[in-house]
Amino acid sequence: MAAEAVAVEVAAAAASAAGLKAVGAGLAVGLAGVGSGLGEMGIGAAAMGAVAENKDMFGLALLFTVLPETIVIFGLVVALLLMFQ
Amino acid sequence: MFQPKQMSKLLIVASKQQLEPVITELYRMNIFHIDDYVEKGDDQWEGFRIGMPLKGADTTSSSLVKIRSIASAFGIGSDQLDESAKARVQELKRSIEQDLPALADEVEHLLSQRSKLEASVKEHEQKIEALKSFTDAPFPMELLNGYDSVGCIAGTVKSHPEISVPHEIWEKQLKSGLFITIAARNEDLPAVEKALLEVQLQKVTIPGENGHAPAIIADYEQKIAGIHQDIEQISVKMAEIREKHQYFLMSSEELLTADVEQAEAPLRFATTDLAFAVVGWVPTEQVTKVYENLDRVCAGKVYTTELEIEDLNDGPPVEYNNPRFSHPAELFIDLYSRPKYTEVDPTLLMAIVYPIMFGLILGDVAYGLVLLAMSFGLRSLVKGSDAGSQLLDILRNCSVASIIFGVIFSEFLGFSLPWAPLWFSRHISIGVAAGAEHHASAIPQLLVVSIWIGILHITLARIWGAQNASRMDHGHHRSLKIYANIGWILVMWGIIVLIWSKFPIILMPDLTQMPELAGGLNVATIAGAVMLVLGLVLIARENALDLMEIPTIISNVLSYTRLIAVGLSSVAIAMVTNFISIGMFINPALENLTPVGIILIIVGILIFFIGHVGNTVLGIMGGGIHPLRLHYVEFFTKFYRGGGKKYNPFGMIRRLTEQN
Repeated sequence: MAAEAVAVEVAAAAASAAGLKAVGAGLAVGLAGVGSGLGEMGIGAAAMGAVAENKDMFGLALLFTVLPETIVIFGLVVALLLMFQ
Repeated sequence: MFQPKQMSKLLIVASKQQLEPVITELYRMNIFHIDDYVEKGDDQWEGFRIGMPLKGADTTSSSLVKIRSIASAFGIGSDQLDESAKARVQELKRSIEQDLPALADEVEHLLSQRSKLEASVKEHEQKIEALKSFTDAPFPMELLNGYDSVGCIAGTVKSHPEISVPHEIWEKQLKSGLFITIAARNEDLPAVEKALLEVQLQKVTIPGENGHAPAIIADYEQKIAGIHQDIEQISVKMAEIREKHQYFLMSSEELLTADVEQAEAPLRFATTDLAFAVVGWVPTEQVTKVYENLDRVCAGKVYTTELEIEDLNDGPPVEYNNPRFSHPAELFIDLYSRPKYTEVDPTLLMAIVYPIMFGLILGDVAYGLVLLAMSFGLRSLVKGSDAGSQLLDILRNCSVASIIFGVIFSEFLGFSLPWAPLWFSRHISIGVAAGAEHHASAIPQLLVVSIWIGILHITLARIWGAQNASRMDHGHHRSLKIYANIGWILVMWGIIVLIWSKFPIILMPDLTQMPELAGGLNVATIAGAVMLVLGLVLIARENALDLMEIPTIISNVLSYTRLIAVGLSSVAIAMVTNFISIGMFINPALENLTPVGIILIIVGILIFFIGHVGNTVLGIMGGGIHPLRLHYVEFFTKFYRGGGKKYNPFGMIRRLTEQN
């Protein structure tokens, strides 16, 4: 009986560890995404304005707009490492 | 390679009689980039003024305006025409003189007729709109107008009005409120209006027509149909003219554009009363051609000489000098900024590395094939647009890279191909693919590979940064900049060596086992620390504030992990799509085929298509933008300066007219 109970507990602990990993991965991508989005919000709007004024700004505008999106990539990498390592 | 075309600065001087032949010859050669002459009180150019346009420039311009207005009325563009037949200049000039005025008059006449007819259609339609409210009225329209002592009011109201004076009323229920027509004696009208205002009257003008409303409307509709027929006839006539004259119009547009550009060229020259001088740039390999041709057309009465280039960085215009293969990537470089004359031109490297990065991200045979088909299928859409075909060429190269990486990763729409991945596997255990042991993913290894790409890419960028500094900067600043770039390389590699000496990492040298020196530090740790400190000193000597940027070394290198991370997310989406459509809808339904099951199968197929189409779109965006960002942000910021002048030779490539 006791051995069975221990086995059930171990399995439950493993399952909850896996579940927490998944939650962590989700949080990593989700929060990083929200952060990048907030960062790109203002830049994107300003970049649009600049490109509307002067089309040559497109390259530079794209550069500025995508700057914060490294953060979400870091989130994604962390999630991948959590889930698949 | 990695360097723009070499340019030479030429000065051409001749007497005014040679002005026309020189301009015509320069225009024909289409290699001379004119430096516009600006009067700025320079000693060297004392007595020179900006020239006047050649004779006939104004009449040519006015003909050109006429042709362009006709062409825009017809919506003709020169790229829609066949280029094989070239018009002869002499014939074209004759027909511009003889036929163009009549043609312009005819088109103008037709256009004005058409707009008149269209205006009358509008007018009739407005009248019909006004009459529509009266279609149910039991009285003919003429009864509402033309009295001396009685007046009529019509309009919509919210509810039935309470009127105390004698009147006659006809009302009709509308969706919201009533439509009323009221007749009353003139002296009672103010009282009637007051009562109507209380029920929120919105007046309409009573049309001055004869007869019952439906009959009048039918009459107008008939008239409109007649006018439409007339418009149709005019359109047919215009289409005939367009068909007959479009080639003439576009070829003469080209001819006159060339004429106007030549006639206005002296505005960019420096002139005196009797002579003119022009400074410009020619690719060095073609200098002798310019000498010979000008000598020939002016019978030797022209002085051409090569000038010394004073400012190498900003002086010469920049023309790419790359193998044909890398031509499409010039689009991306121009999007950022054209390189300066003296700096490293990274086009060739980008032409090679960009598709590889795209392939690493999208690596899937099926998606690659779809994109390859798109890059050929969309050709007809971008006909005539240089940037469009460059973009499609890039897409083609990228899709080939995707297919190659798809074969390597053994991926086809998220399924695996009949072989195990030739390199590290990107297969994730989701749904149907779960349990395929030999495909176990090697994500940490792939991440390390992407970091390696980052390290090498950034090291190359710093090397080029030093090269640019040595070519473009001067004096003390120059050596400081070169050393600073070396400093950045030392700091980066110092940090890397330090990490290696402390932690063993897969696919990277393991330096933890190096012989120990004092204090438990091994050789590699000390070497790394020395590199780091030395690098920091070199950076600080150029600009101490740059030390703030040290953390970007790590974030920039880690940024390259996106190559794998974004790619894995696209693999995951493909696998999830497969799992939902096949694992959850199609397979269970196939096991036990029922009418409901067939619907489930159709839903499953729909999900499959929508999921993969969406993933292809995401793949183009992710695969396209992320490598571009890696180049623009992580790579270019280390060395690239840009801001070069575009080489824009005086002349044009004739498509529809013969060279005279």
